[in-house]
Amino acid sequence: MITFKKDSTQQTVAAYTFLAFPLLIFTGFMLFPVLFIFIIGFFDWNLLIPEKPFIGFENYTELSSDDLFYIALKNTSIYAFGVVPIQTLLALFLAFLMNQKIRGRAALRVAFYVPAITSSVVTSIIFLWIYSKPGLLNYLLSLVGIEGTDWITNPNTALYAIMALNIWTTSGYFMVSFLAGLQSIPASLYEAARIDGANTWQQFWKITVPMVRPITFFVVVLSLIGCFQVFDQIYVMSSGGPVNATTTMSYYIYTSAFKYFRLGYAASVSIVLAMIIWAATYIQKRYFPPEAY
Amino acid sequence: MRKPILKNVLKKTVFVLLSVFLACDSFNTDTKAVRLSSWVSSPTETRLLEETLAAFHQQHPQIQFSHEPIPGNYSEKIQLMLGTYTAPDLFYLKGEFAPSYMRYNILMPLNKYADATPDFELDDFYPSLLEAFQKDSVYYGFPKDFNPYILFYNRAMFQEAGLENPPDNWTELSEWSETLTRDTNGDGDPDQFGLVIQASLDMLMPFVFQNDGEFQRSDGELGITDPAFVEALEFYHGLYKRGIATTPNKIGTDWNGDAFGRGKCAMIIAGGWVIPFLEETYPEIDYGVAVLPAGKKRGTVAFTTAYVMPKYSARADEAWQLMSYLTGREGMASWTRLGLALPARRSVAVANGFYDDPVFKYFMESAEFARVFQVNYQERWYDEGQTAMQKVFFLDVPPAEAMAELKQRLEKFKL
Repeated sequence: MITFKKDSTQQTVAAYTFLAFPLLIFTGFMLFPVLFIFIIGFFDWNLLIPEKPFIGFENYTELSSDDLFYIALKNTSIYAFGVVPIQTLLALFLAFLMNQKIRGRAALRVAFYVPAITSSVVTSIIFLWIYSKPGLLNYLLSLVGIEGTDWITNPNTALYAIMALNIWTTSGYFMVSFLAGLQSIPASLYEAARIDGANTWQQFWKITVPMVRPITFFVVVLSLIGCFQVFDQIYVMSSGGPVNATTTMSYYIYTSAFKYFRLGYAASVSIVLAMIIWAATYIQKRYFPPEAY
Repeated sequence: MRKPILKNVLKKTVFVLLSVFLACDSFNTDTKAVRLSSWVSSPTETRLLEETLAAFHQQHPQIQFSHEPIPGNYSEKIQLMLGTYTAPDLFYLKGEFAPSYMRYNILMPLNKYADATPDFELDDFYPSLLEAFQKDSVYYGFPKDFNPYILFYNRAMFQEAGLENPPDNWTELSEWSETLTRDTNGDGDPDQFGLVIQASLDMLMPFVFQNDGEFQRSDGELGITDPAFVEALEFYHGLYKRGIATTPNKIGTDWNGDAFGRGKCAMIIAGGWVIPFLEETYPEIDYGVAVLPAGKKRGTVAFTTAYVMPKYSARADEAWQLMSYLTGREGMASWTRLGLALPARRSVAVANGFYDDPVFKYFMESAEFARVFQVNYQERWYDEGQTAMQKVFFLDVPPAEAMAELKQRLEKFKL
C-alpha cells in the first residue's frame, strides 16, 4: 500500500511536471481570459481610458434595448438553424456514399475534404467572385434563363449566400466523422436486413441513421457551436453589411470591442452568446441524448 | 533511481520556463530606443520610409530608434498596446480616428515641443490637415501626408464620346456620365458606365461640402437632414438610380480603381493610391485627372495621416526629434517624393515640384479646399451612417427618410 501511495504521488508529480507548460499556457491564454470576460462585462471598459468605472448590469440593460443586438441575434439564429440541419444531413449523405465501393472513392473523399482544410479567408474570397454580379453562379443561372443578383451586396441574399458557403466548407469535415462512425457499424446488421428484403434506402434510414446517432450528436453540437460563432467569412466577405443583413453575434462583438472602443459592452454580448450556446447544447443533451435509440 | 530523474525533469522544466520568461522580459525592457510603428501597405512605401529613417540616422546618430511595422489589424493592435502601456513612442494615426484618440486623452500634447523648435513652421502645413489633429488649440499630432479625392477620367472614352475636358460642375458630371454610359456589346445592358461610386459616406461627403452642407455643423448638431445635405445625397444617389453610375461590386470588381483599370467606367472618384495601382496592373490605360466638379463651390475630402506620440512616452524628447524630422521639410520631402501620398506642407509640395506636375498639380489645387471628414460622436456613428447609405442604395429608401431615421438613431451616440 505504502509503495503504491508513494508511486501514485510520484506519478502525479511527474504528470503535472509534463503538463505544467501546456497547463500554464491554457490557464494564461484560455481560462483566465474566459473568466475575466465575466468581470469586464460589469465595467465600462475602454482600453484607451485608464478609468474603468464599475457599472453593474448597465451593459446588459443597454443590450436589451439595442436593436442591432437583436438583429445580430436574429441573423445568428437564422444562420445556425439553417446551416446545422442541412450540413449534418449532407455530411451523413456524403459519408454514406463514400462508404460504398465506388470507383475513385479516395479521390472523391479528398475532394470533399479539401474545403474543410482550406483557409476560410481563401474560400471566402473565391466565393466573393462566384457570388459577384458577373460571377460563376450568375453565369450558371443565366444558362437556365434566370437573371441572378449581386448576392453579397443584396441585403436579401447576403446571409443565405454566406450560409451556403459554410455548408459547403464544413460538410466535408463532418463527413469524415460520419465515415468513421459508418465503418464501426457491423456488416451483419446490413446482411440481416438484406435477408429480410430491405432496400438500400431502408437500410440507410433504419440501420445507418440510428447507428451513427452518437456521431450525429457530436456533429450537431460542434457545428451548432461553430455556427453561433461564425466570424471570419462575415469579416472577409460582407463586414456585417449590407444594411446589417450579415451582422452576426461574433461580428457585433468584434465591432463593439475594436471599432466602438467598448470592451465591456462587447464582453456582455459574448456572455449572452456563451449562455445561448450553453443552453442549446444542454437542450440537445437533455432531450436528444446521444446514446438512446 | 527514479528521484534523480524526476529532479532532473523538474530542473529542466524550471530552466526552460525561466529562459522563456527572461526572453519575453528582455523584449519588454528594451526601451533604450525610440520605437516607431507604422502600418505596411506596399513595398515601395516601406522602402521610402526606411530611406527617410536612414537619412535621419545620418544626421542624428546619437538617437537610437527601431522601426516596428505592424503588418495587419493596425488599429486593433495600437489600441491594445495603448491599453497595456506598451505603445510605440511614435505611430501613425488616421485623421478619421483622431477625434476619438484626442477625446480619450491618450496622446501627447505637442505644443511645447513645436514651440521649442523654431524651424518647425506650423503655418507651412495646409490648415485643414493641421486642424484634424488639433483640439482646443492643442496639437496632438502633425500630418505626414494627405490624399484628396479627385476625379480620374479615361481619355480614350472621352475622346470617343467627343468630350474634350473633364466635367467641371454637377450638371456636366451628370450629363457626361450619361453620354459615357454605353452598351458596347449590344446585349441591352450597359457594360461601360460613366462613373463608379460607392454606397459610402466618405465618397458622398465631397458632394455635401460642395453643396454647403455638413454632417455635423459647427454648433455640434447633425446637419444630415438639412436641405443642403439631402440634396447632395439625392444628386449622388440619383446618378446611381438613373443607371449612369454604378458600384464596384455590380460590375464584378473589388473597388473603383480596379473597375477603372479594366475599362468598365469612364470616371472614378479616388485618391493618389490609384496611380501606382494603375501603373503596375493596367499600364496601358491613358487617363487624366482633375479636381472634383464643383457644386455651389469647390469641395473635396482629404484623407490624412499624422505622427502621434502616446501621452506616457518614456522617450518623448527623442521621439519628438524623429517626429519633427519626419513631418519637417526634409523628411517629408523624402517621404513624399514619389507622390504615393502628397506632402502636408506647402513648401515641400513646391520643392518636390508637385505644383508644376501635370498630375499632382490637381492634388495640390484640391488641398486648398479639401476637408478632413471628422465627426465628434461615439464611434458607432460611422457604421450607422454606412448602414443608412446602404439602405438608400440597396433598399431604395428615399434619402430624406433614411437621413431622418439616421438622425434619430444617432441621438443615442451623442457625446
